[in-house]
Amino acid sequence: MQKRKIYSILYSFIILMITSCVKDVDFDQADDFSLTPVLAASVVYTNVEASRFSENGMELETVSDTIANIEIFTDDFVIDNLVKAELIFEATNSINRTFGLQVDFLNEIDEIQHSFLFDASPSPLGDEVLTEYIEVFEDVTLEALKMTRKMIITLRLYPSNDGSSLDEDSAGEIGLKSRGTFYLNLSL
Amino acid sequence: MFGNRLIYIILIFAMHYSFTQNKQLLFGFNDIPQSVMVNPSTTLDNNWFVGFPLLSHFHVNFGSSGMSAFDLFADDGRDFNSKLQSLIFRLDDNDFFTATQSLDVFSGGFAFGKGIEKDRYLSFGMYIETDVIAYYPKDYAILAYEGNASNIGRVFDLSDLNVRGEVVSVFHVGITKKVNNKLTVGARGKIYSSIFNINSTENRGTFTTQVGQNNLLSHTFNLDLSVNTSGIGSLIDDDNSDISNDIKTLRRRLLFGGNLGLGLDFGFTYEASEQLVFEGSLLDFGFIRHNKDLENYSLSGSYVYEGINPLFPEMPDGQTAEDYWDEVADNFEELFEVDSTKTKYTTWRPVKLNAAVRYKFGKKNSKDCNCLAEDGGYLNAVGAQLYAIKRPKAPQLALTAFYYRRVFNDLSVKATYTIDSFSFTNMGFGLSTDIGPLNFYLLADNLLEYQNIAKAQSASLQFGLNLVFGKGQKQ
Repeated sequence: MQKRKIYSILYSFIILMITSCVKDVDFDQADDFSLTPVLAASVVYTNVEASRFSENGMELETVSDTIANIEIFTDDFVIDNLVKAELIFEATNSINRTFGLQVDFLNEIDEIQHSFLFDASPSPLGDEVLTEYIEVFEDVTLEALKMTRKMIITLRLYPSNDGSSLDEDSAGEIGLKSRGTFYLNLSL
Repeated sequence: MFGNRLIYIILIFAMHYSFTQNKQLLFGFNDIPQSVMVNPSTTLDNNWFVGFPLLSHFHVNFGSSGMSAFDLFADDGRDFNSKLQSLIFRLDDNDFFTATQSLDVFSGGFAFGKGIEKDRYLSFGMYIETDVIAYYPKDYAILAYEGNASNIGRVFDLSDLNVRGEVVSVFHVGITKKVNNKLTVGARGKIYSSIFNINSTENRGTFTTQVGQNNLLSHTFNLDLSVNTSGIGSLIDDDNSDISNDIKTLRRRLLFGGNLGLGLDFGFTYEASEQLVFEGSLLDFGFIRHNKDLENYSLSGSYVYEGINPLFPEMPDGQTAEDYWDEVADNFEELFEVDSTKTKYTTWRPVKLNAAVRYKFGKKNSKDCNCLAEDGGYLNAVGAQLYAIKRPKAPQLALTAFYYRRVFNDLSVKATYTIDSFSFTNMGFGLSTDIGPLNFYLLADNLLEYQNIAKAQSASLQFGLNLVFGKGQKQ
């Protein structure tokens, strides 16, 4: 009698094991999975003294430089997952002249995809004048960025109001710092 | 797309269905022949046994210390990504996911010794064991989830990546010897043949984004990462895609053809009185030397990146931004260049410690029972067990209280309550039953969670089938 009762308990144990189940869960939710990290990275920086805008007694109107063979923007991972980007520039000018900074984005065959330009304000008193500029890449401009293989950075010295020019003894300098913010969206 | 999903599913499985090795139900359960594998000094209650090939012992156990599948996949209307987010931040880098499985291929044993009272027992066999542990790589997860933009100044610790996994086949012979009326000792020698091994437990390094000096940001990379593998390279990149060759390779490795190692188990049982027993065992004190089919990868170096410095070609310095950019690109390439080597390495097996105190009571008083007087006739036992296993970061511990009862001569049960890294409410139950010479056992823990296994942070299941002869004739 007692034996039968004990066995029935044991059978229930075995049945419990066999009928154990997974309830109230929905594994299809994994389809909603997405990661949206925001990456920050330094881009370019430079410091140019006022005296270096003079060569053989002549004022240089523009100086420019090229960064070629950029592969990061045309990488498949970036093309698939980059949803927005920002370039943040900070110009520190202690020269009493206005500078224009232009950045051109070129594709593989050197066609301009996108350009932007901003002015760094002059410093009448010779102290450091800070100019901030943010270029946002979304939609059309983002697509342009994703074609970019080459960047041309041009620093343009605008003519002075009083006709004076920079020479080898001119004081002050212009500094540029920049960072990029890259918004990614990775999903299944 | 499919590849992505597959990786994700594997990741989720690795995260949730990982296993521990605590065999708290089997320990000391001497009606079951395989209990001698948990303590080589356990005196088996039979003259000889032979396990059914592939059926004598099967064990799976999974555990995750910080979460259950339910935490992420509950059908509760909450946004999946917000559940994911709360998990990413809630778990810490000591949380882990473990997986263990073992399968007896064959096993057997017999009592022997001088005179009528056989005072020794020899047991032997072969089993295949899988053991995986992965710690939660918290800093990697946060970097992947948030990125570095909102973590300026945070030091991402790259040592959070800590994973170990192996499949081994084990040949073993053990002997149990009764020294005197109080003390029984046992030892088991093991030969390991490693089928696969992955070991990435020595990672170091940091990644930091800070406010820079020359530029707005400065990024510091300090990498010292490595992963050792054996037994995987030849299966993945062999030229022929013929699966039967791979099966041949695996079969050879099962039978001493893998990377070999040696190990020992020790155990003692001390009967302080007729009713009070102390037991202890140390298992898998051993190593495997990996010298065949190796693929090791390492990544090391340090680099500080502040940006590209265009010096403008009109300037006298000569270096152009393009040169600088090329230099930066080269530096990054060098930094992230993976070195591949075939250096031999040694891994230690995860050593396990078991200890128990057992108190027997309640002699049988049934009039119609004709069973023989085993265990001095005591039908019940209560006690406590301690289990510890060495893991890469820290030992993993479990404390168990148990009640054992010989219900009938052919039926014994054991109930356990265990506190471990996974839960404070782990109730286990096991039974061993004999039908003639046929012994069947089924042991399972975390029973409270079986109603909905998705909520369980750990669960284990063991069962097996043996032929046992001469049960109850010892003593």
